[in-house]
Order: sequence, then C-alpha cells, then structure tokens
Amino acid sequence: MTLHTAIVNAEEDKISLEKAKEFIISKKNGAESIFIGRVRNENSGKRVTAVTYDAHDQAVIKSFQSICADAKTKFNKSSSIFLEHAKGYIPVGEISILIAVSSGHRDEAFKICRYILEEIKHKSPIWKKEHYTEGNEEWLPGHSLRPKEEIK
Amino acid sequence: MKIKLKLYGSSKMLSDKEILSIELPNNSNIETLRKVLSKIISKKYLKKNLQNLCKTSAFFSEDDEVINDNYKLKNKELISIIPPIGGG
Repeated sequence: MTLHTAIVNAEEDKISLEKAKEFIISKKNGAESIFIGRVRNENSGKRVTAVTYDAHDQAVIKSFQSICADAKTKFNKSSSIFLEHAKGYIPVGEISILIAVSSGHRDEAFKICRYILEEIKHKSPIWKKEHYTEGNEEWLPGHSLRPKEEIK
Repeated sequence: MKIKLKLYGSSKMLSDKEILSIELPNNSNIETLRKVLSKIISKKYLKKNLQNLCKTSAFFSEDDEVINDNYKLKNKELISIIPPIGGG
C-alpha cells in the first residue's frame, strides 16, 4: 500500500509524525519530503489561541484520494504518500496537517508535497474557525466551490 | 415540501443543530433554497457575518457532488451547504 489518507478527530487521536515516517519508508525511494502545518499564534494582527477545523469527512477523503492519485500520475507513480488533516479543536503549536512523501528522487518528493497542499486548499471541504485571546472567534474566508458561471 | 440541510463551516452560525429542516415550496430547486436561506439570514443578527453565505456557498447532494442552481430538490432530501473552503 502506497497511499494513506485520513481525517483525525482531535477528540480521539493526534496526527503522528512517527506513523507517517514508518508508512513512507521504502528501499526503492531515496528521497523523503515531509510538510507539517501547525496552528500559529497570530493571524492578521490577531492573537490566536486555537483553531477549530470542521470537515465534510466523506468528501474530504474522496478529494484527498483524488489529489494524491493525480500527484502520483503527474510526478511519480511509485511514490508513497501519507496525508492526514486534523478535525476539531487544535491549540496553538499542534499539528493541523501532515503530508509525507517518499519518492525516487528529491525533485518529485518536493513537488508532490507542494502540489497536494495547494490542491487541498482549493478542493477539500475543510473550514477553519480561529479562537482569539480576547475570547472571540471567527470563521475564516476561503475558496468558493460554487460553479463560477453561477456567481454574478 | 421539506428538506434537511447539513451545516458546515460558517453556516453553523445559523443554528446550534447540525441539520436544519427547511420548508420550501413544492418543486423547489437550489436557487429557491438560496432565496429562502437569504430570508432566514436577513431576519437574524447573522446578517453581518453571513451576508455572502448564500452567494458564495456550493451545495452537495447526498453522494457528495456539487449540484447546480437548477437541481430539483426532493421532499426530505438531505443536502449539505458548503461555504468557501480553506483547509491546510
């Protein structure tokens, strides 16, 4: 198996870097690229304490599998990909997304990692609500999936 | 007719429930649903935060496909509202 995708519910589990490393390791692949996204403590001048991620689980998994399959076709069919995204309340400093890729060579490994991240932002139904030090919270704007011809 | 609307992202400000039951005229489509939702939003304090929700959201059918404004809704159908996304 060379592909693992999951939504990790914060109430049940945490995203594990060790699990990702174990999954992608292969004697055929000489390059590994790992991207870790963490919740940061500031956004647009506001002090952030945590982010709540919401997700349409079923559609997210479908989109993850499709994006990863495209990445393999585009860059390297023999690559191994581990992709997990958090759901629920994630405090500052904790992992929100982890993409780990092993591939024959470094160039493909970097490209696959970057490709997956950018595609997720435009295709996977995931939402962020930031929580601030003042006690208020805000859903962040994003990319509309409504067919473009319908938006007047 | 009635449909069930599953809420995601910022649309969760519409209700504490995960699924809203919405009354619509018979033979309604997604365009009608947008108008009805717009009225619900305009009546509430939510207007400021959700004024663009109806315009910018997509809707998913039960098999997770984007459905367009002409899509005819069925009585008791479960639809998901998909506000602009932004994971990662």
